[in-house]
Amino acid sequence: MSAVSSWVSETLVRDATERRIFATLGLITVLLVVGVLTGVIGPRFLLFQIALVGMYALLSLGLNVQWGYAGLINFSVAAFWGIGAYCAALLTAPNSPLGLGLHPVFGFLAAIVVSAFIAVLIGIPTLRLREDYLAIASLGLAEVIRAIILNEDQWTAGSSGISGIPELLSWLPLTDAATTAAVVVFLIAVVYLFLRRVHRSPWGRVLRTIRSDEDLAKALGKNTYQFKMQAFVIGSVIMAIAGAFYAHLNLYIDPSDLVPLTTFYIWIAVILGGTGSNRGAVVGAAVVIAIREGTRFLNDIGFIQTLGVDLAPLRLLFVGGLIILIMRFRQDGLLPPKDELIWPAARDGSGAGGASASGAAPDGGTSSNGGDDR
Amino acid sequence: MNDDAYEGARLDKSDVVLKTTGLEKAFGGLVATDSVSIEVQRGTITGMIGPNGAGKSTLFNLISGFYENDAGHVTVNGEDVTDLEPHERARKGLVRTFQTPRRLEGMSVREAMLVGPGPQKGESIFSLFFSGSDVTEEERANIEQTRELLERFEIGHLIDQPSTDLSGGQMKLVELARAFTTNPDILLLDEPVAGVNPTLANDIKRFIRELNEEGQTFLIIEHDMPFIMDLADPIIVLDQGKVLMEGSPDEVRSDDRVIEAYLGGAGP
Repeated sequence: MSAVSSWVSETLVRDATERRIFATLGLITVLLVVGVLTGVIGPRFLLFQIALVGMYALLSLGLNVQWGYAGLINFSVAAFWGIGAYCAALLTAPNSPLGLGLHPVFGFLAAIVVSAFIAVLIGIPTLRLREDYLAIASLGLAEVIRAIILNEDQWTAGSSGISGIPELLSWLPLTDAATTAAVVVFLIAVVYLFLRRVHRSPWGRVLRTIRSDEDLAKALGKNTYQFKMQAFVIGSVIMAIAGAFYAHLNLYIDPSDLVPLTTFYIWIAVILGGTGSNRGAVVGAAVVIAIREGTRFLNDIGFIQTLGVDLAPLRLLFVGGLIILIMRFRQDGLLPPKDELIWPAARDGSGAGGASASGAAPDGGTSSNGGDDR
Repeated sequence: MNDDAYEGARLDKSDVVLKTTGLEKAFGGLVATDSVSIEVQRGTITGMIGPNGAGKSTLFNLISGFYENDAGHVTVNGEDVTDLEPHERARKGLVRTFQTPRRLEGMSVREAMLVGPGPQKGESIFSLFFSGSDVTEEERANIEQTRELLERFEIGHLIDQPSTDLSGGQMKLVELARAFTTNPDILLLDEPVAGVNPTLANDIKRFIRELNEEGQTFLIIEHDMPFIMDLADPIIVLDQGKVLMEGSPDEVRSDDRVIEAYLGGAGP
């Protein structure tokens, strides 16, 4: 246990404020466990929520690669998510219009290939131009994808949606909810480790430079178009994986979730968590979903019932209020990026890459400890 | 000033690194660069001066590929680079700095410096997973080079600082050092001491001269006359998008046309 806590404090927690944030998260976890043990919260419900949070965390990680690393403004998060979900649903559900009933692995593979292809298609005309062009084109793409899925019923079953999507790994000796939760944790771990490796590297450094000053990166001989394309494709593929997972979580998919609101929840999660930070993306997603799902039950609390106010419809208001608070008191998000983007193995005793030691700062000051950037 | 006054640059140099022939650029009706042909000889510090609006920055943008030219050619080491993108020109050895460097948000000075060398193995995702030890080796060497270069430029103590905390002059020094890590054949500096305090400006002059003595070629735009007259030889004078003349600092200083260009046609 102490090994785990020391790993947490060394690799995750960087200053006192972050310690408080993680302590709060820990407390919430404990409360949830207590809630399950005392029977207030059904374990099946909780596991489903974990899977949902995990899916949003994946989406946030994907957007973080695009916006957080490279500064690409992508408003078609929901579209790439939908592409992933529909690839999985169409290939695996026996009663989908394609009627193939393939193994879920093929759904995930198709999600990866199709999303990468569409990302390249949209990237070719826009990534050479100023950043706003991608923003505009991606807004359009989101609507185009939604309209296609909604109207081409012979391929996509249109607004009636696709049901009968098989569960993942149903042979595992776990309940279905526990299995999906385990799958999403596995997916997040894989994506997180992949991103951690590519981000703290010369590759991640070039993206960070492009985000601040693309002309400078060009003047230093970096093919910024190619770097932006890579970031865009990686982010989009991660979103599609999240979508494919969702199809197997919800077992039913229709176009109603492909709305801009889904995209903006993810943007909120990334900004809230700390733009450019993988840790932040995961935590931000958890916070946004906790508020969105948690506030459903506000009206069931006795104290609020006595007020005679219907609070549940005000969920979006709570999300908005939280963002204002965060932006006021912690501008860079809950867990802003702290790492110097230097290949970890190349940091050594010669003083390079002091960031790894910066967790020791007792007062959360950033100016004094080496290697910390804000 | 009538057209006969525009003598043009000297085009008979040996061992030319950078050459432009008949470069032209117009913005709407305004001809910003009017048939500019210049040569920069290897091993020199070539200065470029001219009154405001003479077209110096436009010419830099044309040479480095950030603007597309309407006519003319740019060659680097004898190779035509006119159709190449800015990053491709940089890889051919033509590297520039900017007049007002933007701060690299969220990056330490060390990180900002490490963007320079290139192309790096670690810039390929494939290498990050399949030849990690090569990446490590290269990264170590680059970190070491960064440390040495910053120490040489007497800003070694800034290596851990957030690059957003640097003063304007320190930023210019970091820019110069970073541009140098690309191992360029010619460095184009756009006003390297604009807004820099005199002490630091002197340091920058000293470092440029040192690098030049080691063989680095420079083409420098600068408004600070004492600075550029002391550092550069030859100096190219631009006026109204054209090359007025080229000569040693003494020739430029005593040239009536140059005086007239700066004072705005006061003569008869």
